[in-house]
Amino acid sequence: MSTAVLEVKDVQKIYGTKGESQSHALKGVSMTIDKGEFVGIMGPSGSGKTTLLNVISTLDRPTEGFIEIAGTNITQMKNNQLADFRSQKLGFIFQDFNLLENLSVYENIALPLSLQGVPSKEISNKVSKVAQTLGIEEILQKYPVQISGGQKQRAAAARALVHDPAILLADEPTGALDSKNAKSLLETMTDLNENHQVSIMMVTHDAFSASYCKRILFIQDGKLYTEIQRTGDRQQFFKQILDVLAELGASHDVR
Amino acid sequence: MLLKLSLSSMRKMMKDYLVLLVGLVISISIFYMFQTLALNSDYTKNNSMISSIQIVFNVGAFLLAFITIFYIFYANSFLLSLRRKELGMYMVLGAKKGKISQILFLETLTMGIISLVIGSLVGIALASGIGVLLMNLLEISTDGYYPFYLPAVWMTWGFFLILFIITSTINATRLARATELALIRAEQQNDQIKSKGIGAVLVAILGVILLALGYTCLHLIMYLQALGFIVGAISCTIGTYLIFISLLPVLVQALKKNKKLNDSKLNAFTFAQLRFRVNNLTKILGTVAMLIGLGVGAMAGGLAFQQNVNLFTSVFHVYDVNLHDPVEADYEALKKMNVLEQNTYRYKVDDKAYYYLKEDLLANPLLISTNSTQNYSADNKPKLVTDPLPKETYIISASKEDNGKYDAVPEDWDKAISANFINYQMIEGKSVLVVDQATYEKTAGSEHKVLLAQVDDYLKYTQELKAMDERQKQMIGSIANVEVKDVYTSSKYSTYAGMYIFTSGTMFMGFFLGIAFLAMMASCLMFKILSGASRDKDRYSMLRKIGVRQSLLVGSIYKELFMVFIFPAIIGLMHVLLGMEMFSFILLDPYLNIWIPTLIFVVIYAIYYYITVQLYRGIVLPKEA
Repeated sequence: MSTAVLEVKDVQKIYGTKGESQSHALKGVSMTIDKGEFVGIMGPSGSGKTTLLNVISTLDRPTEGFIEIAGTNITQMKNNQLADFRSQKLGFIFQDFNLLENLSVYENIALPLSLQGVPSKEISNKVSKVAQTLGIEEILQKYPVQISGGQKQRAAAARALVHDPAILLADEPTGALDSKNAKSLLETMTDLNENHQVSIMMVTHDAFSASYCKRILFIQDGKLYTEIQRTGDRQQFFKQILDVLAELGASHDVR
Repeated sequence: MLLKLSLSSMRKMMKDYLVLLVGLVISISIFYMFQTLALNSDYTKNNSMISSIQIVFNVGAFLLAFITIFYIFYANSFLLSLRRKELGMYMVLGAKKGKISQILFLETLTMGIISLVIGSLVGIALASGIGVLLMNLLEISTDGYYPFYLPAVWMTWGFFLILFIITSTINATRLARATELALIRAEQQNDQIKSKGIGAVLVAILGVILLALGYTCLHLIMYLQALGFIVGAISCTIGTYLIFISLLPVLVQALKKNKKLNDSKLNAFTFAQLRFRVNNLTKILGTVAMLIGLGVGAMAGGLAFQQNVNLFTSVFHVYDVNLHDPVEADYEALKKMNVLEQNTYRYKVDDKAYYYLKEDLLANPLLISTNSTQNYSADNKPKLVTDPLPKETYIISASKEDNGKYDAVPEDWDKAISANFINYQMIEGKSVLVVDQATYEKTAGSEHKVLLAQVDDYLKYTQELKAMDERQKQMIGSIANVEVKDVYTSSKYSTYAGMYIFTSGTMFMGFFLGIAFLAMMASCLMFKILSGASRDKDRYSMLRKIGVRQSLLVGSIYKELFMVFIFPAIIGLMHVLLGMEMFSFILLDPYLNIWIPTLIFVVIYAIYYYITVQLYRGIVLPKEA
């Protein structure tokens, strides 16, 4: 039995103050991700998947409910604790890379370690190791403007992984990539998951990207709609996903 | 509708506009205060003492106007750059360019008028407070000085209104020429990372050499004269810019190269931001350094002149009191002073000459100063004139008829007698002779005497000395038949008072000019930094996402901006410290009390630093939840 790396229980998120026009972005979501899983979160626009990611990534606080990551309850933490927690336990990949363009790739990757006060020599070792895993050793001294989109996303992934986070949170990581680079990145993520035991949670609305996951949670209107598990090969899973999406779309129309 | 939009967006950028406003108000109010002195010729005519200051204030107002023009252009283009995106958006939505230009024109003008109103009020307050305080300090009557002086108001309004209309027009036309897309994309430019190689090092060396050359020229200004000043000023200026263009980026690069330092905490980011700044702000940083130099220099120079008055006076005058035919009131006054030495010398006057009695002079030989302005040292004590005077008659100053008739008095005696006994208004072209007892007795004519005295500290008795001086003026006026206000006495007090007023005026102007310079320059730097802040927003939000503590981010901002502020401050202060040397040929000690202007500078600069950090922080970091 594998252990849970992420546990979300009855999480609600309400925007706006009482009495005024409130919007319920999350209406009681519960889910668990086990160590070494590659989980996708899908759902139409406005379903609450970004909000879910934000509360899990501690960038936003849930109004109600309980979130535990790697055995730590994050809902009661203070701002500084949250910042430290993010820098130590979480790795992020964003759609728009979010690399600091005034730092070299090396410095970008090294940043999370620098923040934790890791000695310079150790930083150097760790950065080259993760760069090797992601195949970006050649561009470490370059600046983000000098490299391609695919390389940028790999650099971002390297930065997300360099400090061995408990879980890698990816927000539409292929959104700004062309299909070739997207495919390559997804394969890399699969490799990280399978061969380096990295737990991944990926939010996406792209069925092709999602088909690389092992399990997919579908969210609609702030609630968990359904969940599917990959059993066969990727092609088959892809079709399965499309079916659920069609179902989701249909339920939309009926309402 | 568009007007409403523009108003609301101006309100949003209130802080930025406030900074501009403060700079303008400072400039306008000081300009006004200078004008109340520079333009009120009735007042200056009645105070012959102050008329020499008038030119000082005219020069000051001119300098201020000059720098204000730059400031307004700069600040306005900054505010325009802040709003480019917004204005571009209006255009995309279909607003006519002409209409937007018109609004922009009105905005700039309104801003100018608001600052003029506030500035004039502050100026009047300044004039009635500080201006009157100055007059009292200088013991000049304030009758006829009006803090609210209409011609000064007209001058101020006229000058600044023209300035504002010009800048408004330029703003509007600049906008009219830009395309919508260029406006919207104004912010989307990536930082260029230029690598600095051996070339930069060479330029840096050149910069240092030029600075050294400039300082040497200023140091040797006594020998090089105007050439030294021109070469010095030019090579210092170029050197400063070269240093900011090359040395600074190289330094920051070196900081980044230090792996250990760079890999610690947020340093990599802080240094990267800094590198970007020193690369992009070279010109403004160089300018700020130069203007810090000028501003602090104006203050320090003014102060140094004022503080040197006392030293100067003692170079020229050994005796504190010097009275022809003292009257009872003079003796009364002398009784109140702590007199160290007091001697009386007799002389006779007829229609041809002044005859000083040799025996009196030899009985109590005079002291002369051994200091000169070129070669001053506090250790050079006055010396007694000891040259013997064997002959019957000597001449010090000859009338036309007496030219060549007598032997000239030995040099030291000449110096002593000229400095202490002769008032050229009084002698009216007559000869001045030194004669022995026999000749003296033979001479017909009225007998007089001159009293010389040294006191413990003449600055303690300025009231009494002033009264004595007035009485002397009355007397000399009646002898020479000139109006009392046109009489000049050669007493220590009158030298002191004349220089004191002039130099105080200079100091006063120097201080205000310095403050205005500094305030405007610091706000230029601030605008420049803030104008890049919106681009940095993404960087900070990303850092927050990956888990950088807010306190660390704030610390990084403080550190980064501190470095940006400190570099020009160091170079600017270095200019002042080394450049003040240039005054050593006219000032005995140019560094007297230099800490006062330095402190004022540090305080003003620190305030702007703090405000910049806070504003920048407000732009790039969200409020802590």
